[in-house]
Amino acid sequence: MDNREKSGLALNRLLPWIIPVVFVAGWLIVAEMRILPAYLLPHPVDILDCGYAYIFGSPGDGMYAGRFLTDAGASLVRVGVGFAVAATLGIPLGVMSGRLPVVDRLLSTSVNGIRAVPGISWLPLALIWFGIGLKTTVFLVALAAFFPIYINSASGVRQVSPVLLQAGAMMGIRSLRGTFAILLPSAMPYIISGLRLGLGISWAYLVLGELTGVTNGLGAVIMDARMVGRIDVIIVGIIIIAVIGRLSDQLLDASMKFCLKSARRSA
Amino acid sequence: MTSNFKVISPHRPASAPPILEISELGRVYRMNQSFLPVLEGVSFDVQPGEMLCILGPSGCGKTTLLNILSGFLKPSEGWVRLHGKPIARPGPDRCVVFQEDALFPWLTVVENMAFGLKGKGIPRRQRQVLVDRYLSLVGLSAFRDYLPSEISGGMKQRVALARVLILEPEILLMDEPFAALDAQTREEMQHLLLRLWETLSHTIVFVTHDVREAVTLADRVIVMEKNPGKVKELVDIDLARPRDIDDDRFNRRCARLHDLLRN
Repeated sequence: MDNREKSGLALNRLLPWIIPVVFVAGWLIVAEMRILPAYLLPHPVDILDCGYAYIFGSPGDGMYAGRFLTDAGASLVRVGVGFAVAATLGIPLGVMSGRLPVVDRLLSTSVNGIRAVPGISWLPLALIWFGIGLKTTVFLVALAAFFPIYINSASGVRQVSPVLLQAGAMMGIRSLRGTFAILLPSAMPYIISGLRLGLGISWAYLVLGELTGVTNGLGAVIMDARMVGRIDVIIVGIIIIAVIGRLSDQLLDASMKFCLKSARRSA
Repeated sequence: MTSNFKVISPHRPASAPPILEISELGRVYRMNQSFLPVLEGVSFDVQPGEMLCILGPSGCGKTTLLNILSGFLKPSEGWVRLHGKPIARPGPDRCVVFQEDALFPWLTVVENMAFGLKGKGIPRRQRQVLVDRYLSLVGLSAFRDYLPSEISGGMKQRVALARVLILEPEILLMDEPFAALDAQTREEMQHLLLRLWETLSHTIVFVTHDVREAVTLADRVIVMEKNPGKVKELVDIDLARPRDIDDDRFNRRCARLHDLLRN
């Protein structure tokens, strides 16, 4: 490896961190020069303190101290259940509608109609149906994550080359076996993008579901902090959601690649 | 490999029953309101162990014909019989080598080759033995763990050939399998196919639009015409193998087929 390649590799490692570093630096300058008052934009060091207390503090130390584990746990369960429901419905239905014109005709009008409704408009209805708490959030998450999973699975299956299915049929692999041996692996890149998009949206709707007065959860903390004017806690909450969201996306991608050959060996 | 290719006489004794009988085959495609006949009154027999080429211009229904023989398409008229029994659906007794890339891109060379064996329920140990044998027959032992995207077009077609040969089909149906390859690779593949055919003695139906390919490979050539696709003539290629492509007699056969295609 010559020097040019080495520096190219180093740059590649550095690239994702440029924007966050510049952002934090700018924030530091704004805070140090007191361009904005602290109640609009707190000092980064205060955020660090607050975050530390939130994550590692013990419950007696302050209003939000040490709540991280309970909140994150509650939120993860809600996202996990909602996302799992969306995936268990979205993948099979998507695969069927991509493969079978009858199912596509049956579903597409309804699915696209429901999809046109912004997820947030379901909130009042969900509150009436399910009340405040786990069920409402899971409902919203599942509903929102379903569409990208369904749509990507369907288009993934639609783009599978008919020759591959013919090749399977001539080797005596058809119907249900062909679905698992050929159709799903071949559509895998699309299914994975659908799942990743769905998981991303899950976090968005998690916060929406938790804004409604549940007592714990990352969204609940943010909303709660707004009521009492703790902007530092709001920002800590946002950063934590960003980090967990990013990690969960990577975990999803990595576990799909670990478990499935077709995920590992496609782009 | 030995050089004494077996010469199968195109004039087989009448006592040998054909492996495949095609009779008055017709196929119509529906285009909006009108009907487009692509095949009409196609009849011929395929003898066991022979190498039969179907030669025709593009649009003469060669691929449609092959799709009917393989069972992917139903004929509109006429019938196809394999050992006297009608063909119901695709199956590993009639394997197809497709024109384009039909390997499973998420499986390695070895896994692609084992795919059909798995479907047949052949145990793992036996699969390995078979895969190794056929891998070396097509000269790809060094590439066993490569993915299709990592090997050349010619190698891919070798794998495509090997993964169906391994199933020991009675008939090999080949749909312009070498058309996308460069001239030199195509020639190598033709020789590989002849060598394998000599060792394994399959019956082969080989579709091509390339006159020289047909004369290089075939015992008999079915020349087709288009609009609608019909059998124009059946030509015996009575040349001993290996065939010398610079030989006069070879070129005369080519010229004759060219003439048939033109008029």
